[in-house]
Amino acid sequence: MSIRLEHVTKTFGRTTAVDDVSLDIRTGRVFAFLGPNGAGKTTTIKMMAGLLLPDHGRIEICGHPVSTDGFQAKSRMAYVPDQPFVYDKLTGREFLDFVVQIYNVPRDEASLRIDRYVELLRMGEFADQLAEGYSHGMKQRLVLAAALLHEPTVLVVDEPMVGLDPRTVRVVKDLFRERADAGHLVFMSTHTLEVAEALADEIAILHRGRIVAQGSLAQLRQQAARQQRLEDIFLQLTEEAELDRAAEAVHGMATPSETPDRPAPARTP
Amino acid sequence: MIATTSTNPGGFRLLLRLRGRLIRNRLAQAAEAAPLRMVTVVLFTSLIWYALYEMFDRIFVFLRMFREQSVVVIPYIFHIFFAAMTVLLSFSSAILTYSALFRRPEPAWLLAAPMRPRSVVAIVYLEAVFFASWSLVLLGLPLMVALGRVEQLPWYFYVTFLVAFIGFVPIPGAIGLLAAWSAAMWTPRSARRIFVVLAAATIVAATLWWARLWGASRADPDHWLSRFLAELGFLRGALLPSTWVTQAIRYSAEARPADAAFYLFVTVAHAVFLGWLAVGIVSRHVQPAFGRAQSSPTRTFGWGGRVTRIATDVLFCYLPRQVRCLILKDVRAFFRDPMQWSQLAILLGLLALYLLYLPRMHPDGFNLQWQGLICFLNYGAVVLILSTFTSRFVFPMISLEGRQIWLLGLWPVPRSTIVWAKFDFALAVTTLAAMLVTALSIRALELPLTLSLVHVAATLSSCVGLCGLAIGLGSRMPSYGESSGARIASSVGGTINLIASMILVLASLGLIGWLCYRSVFVLKTLSRFDAVNLGIYAAQIALGFGSGSLAMRIGVRHFTRSQF
Repeated sequence: MSIRLEHVTKTFGRTTAVDDVSLDIRTGRVFAFLGPNGAGKTTTIKMMAGLLLPDHGRIEICGHPVSTDGFQAKSRMAYVPDQPFVYDKLTGREFLDFVVQIYNVPRDEASLRIDRYVELLRMGEFADQLAEGYSHGMKQRLVLAAALLHEPTVLVVDEPMVGLDPRTVRVVKDLFRERADAGHLVFMSTHTLEVAEALADEIAILHRGRIVAQGSLAQLRQQAARQQRLEDIFLQLTEEAELDRAAEAVHGMATPSETPDRPAPARTP
Repeated sequence: MIATTSTNPGGFRLLLRLRGRLIRNRLAQAAEAAPLRMVTVVLFTSLIWYALYEMFDRIFVFLRMFREQSVVVIPYIFHIFFAAMTVLLSFSSAILTYSALFRRPEPAWLLAAPMRPRSVVAIVYLEAVFFASWSLVLLGLPLMVALGRVEQLPWYFYVTFLVAFIGFVPIPGAIGLLAAWSAAMWTPRSARRIFVVLAAATIVAATLWWARLWGASRADPDHWLSRFLAELGFLRGALLPSTWVTQAIRYSAEARPADAAFYLFVTVAHAVFLGWLAVGIVSRHVQPAFGRAQSSPTRTFGWGGRVTRIATDVLFCYLPRQVRCLILKDVRAFFRDPMQWSQLAILLGLLALYLLYLPRMHPDGFNLQWQGLICFLNYGAVVLILSTFTSRFVFPMISLEGRQIWLLGLWPVPRSTIVWAKFDFALAVTTLAAMLVTALSIRALELPLTLSLVHVAATLSSCVGLCGLAIGLGSRMPSYGESSGARIASSVGGTINLIASMILVLASLGLIGWLCYRSVFVLKTLSRFDAVNLGIYAAQIALGFGSGSLAMRIGVRHFTRSQF
């Protein structure tokens, strides 16, 4: 398994952001992590990146526990946050050069890879300008290139397509597909359901900190008991979870807890 | 396929090289894009440095006139100086470290990479030490150079104090790093607020203690100096870092190199150990602290929000409701950012404290000369504080709206209203704060009505002038792309505003100083004016109102024609 989450829970005060989430994701696929705003996606990703510590549970990246063997875990993954971070007073190329040094990519190999991604993501025009003048899309392209430079086994991307022009969206989609076909894992959190629908081999839907559904698009359709677009399935499943929660509140009793890696029982509308 | 990388063992060196590259790029960009700004900054820094040097030089020359006393007093000056620096640098390091480690996106990005937390914490620590120690460099170097020149000390004195300074600053830096980490661990919701309140409380407590000490010592005129110094005895404690640095410098000045070297060694050894310890502790536990700082629930402002709304409605009742809404936004931002109100509150609070104590220290009242002099100095202190506030916090207000212009630009009011609303808000804040201190000054000095009116009107016209300059020039020379108020304040426009404010302050001080001088030495009364004094008075009022309204006209015209 490339990413394994075992009963991971994270609370902030009285709010449970991630509630007993378990995931086993193999390499060689694009995994889409969906959920409404505030569902706990970014918290889960930050725990995978080692930025937050889970209150309960265990996270492994390529077999290395993030909490006890963080160096090995982090060296095998790349994390692209939803707000791209770059140093304003570095040029794009200087930033990429800094990243290859962090990951100890050999010098000769590093310059080849930098040139390749600068060309692939069409950064040639601005790669030698200071990043302070970049638009959001330009920064997004730069951080994507930076994330791919060390050829990570696991690429974790939070909202990868925001701010990108259609041509670059296409390039990034192809890049993700190519990486998955080459045996790597692309884990992306997104609100762009069309991208997930077109690209993902496996999808998980998170709602209020819990996985409410997981599987391929076909499995999710089966679960929703109708042939429809991912958008409809997403809305239906998150609405059902909302209804379950309301019912719990009304009756003052807890429904049996769902096994996170097993889809929630489907209901016909 | 297995990743081709491993963890980076030389992370610290890499981050150090990165910092070097960032500084080089920043300097190259500044030299190319804004050479005038660089020259202005260097010029003003040199001027301030030279003024401090001259001041210390005169103090030491004065102290030399009392040879016996100066032998005793000068070491105390250094004990007090370094003790105060320990506290100030600890607070500034804590605030800098907290922002750098727990609020900026960079540490998150670095901690998600295979970078040792120790490297990240160490670089943040060194950066905080470097930036926090600017105050020591600015104050300490002229102090030591003045002492070396007046006392004609040998060359190794200068080497000793340089090493002592460099050896000393990591100690308060380590205290600040541990304080920042503790705040993130246990009070992440209000860490910056706590630092500011603690700093303010420390300054107020130190001022009260100093005033009590001074008052008690003066009550015993025969032995006041020995009594005063006896009260300060605790500052010479052998375990205090300030003592080690002072002793190193003192023995160096007394040509006792072995003793100086011993205390230098003690200082540097403790600095290295404390730095190592603090970086070790924080890097080992940085992850939970980072998590808490990032994920602590946001403060809620239900009650505070209502109070600010009522206060805004009352204070600005003469303005249309729409404009009051805009001002309410600024009022809330002002009170929710401790960096904004704390500077004004601490500086004016200290002045108010001094004015409250003034009558107790002179129970028999002040004669004419003292009344004139203190009135002039109080006015000077108030306008200087206001000018720093308007330059740092009022000037960036228009630029900071750049990102919200999609909202404000569509607002169904003339664009000029936005600029005037900012001006009204800034004027209300500065006038309220300044008038409180002015009223205390009038009460403490028991000024007659005529000079009281001069004091009030001069302060008001200075508020109008400074706010007008800051908002007007802020609208004329905005930096819409910048989101940091500090950077906007240090932009070319910010520098021009600072210079314009300083010119206004100096001109106003010149006029009020002239007026006070004529009242005391020519008219020999503060109760009535002649035609010349009335002319000076009118000129000062005209200067404040005129400069403010001119800057506002220019700013409003530019803002209404701007394209975003």
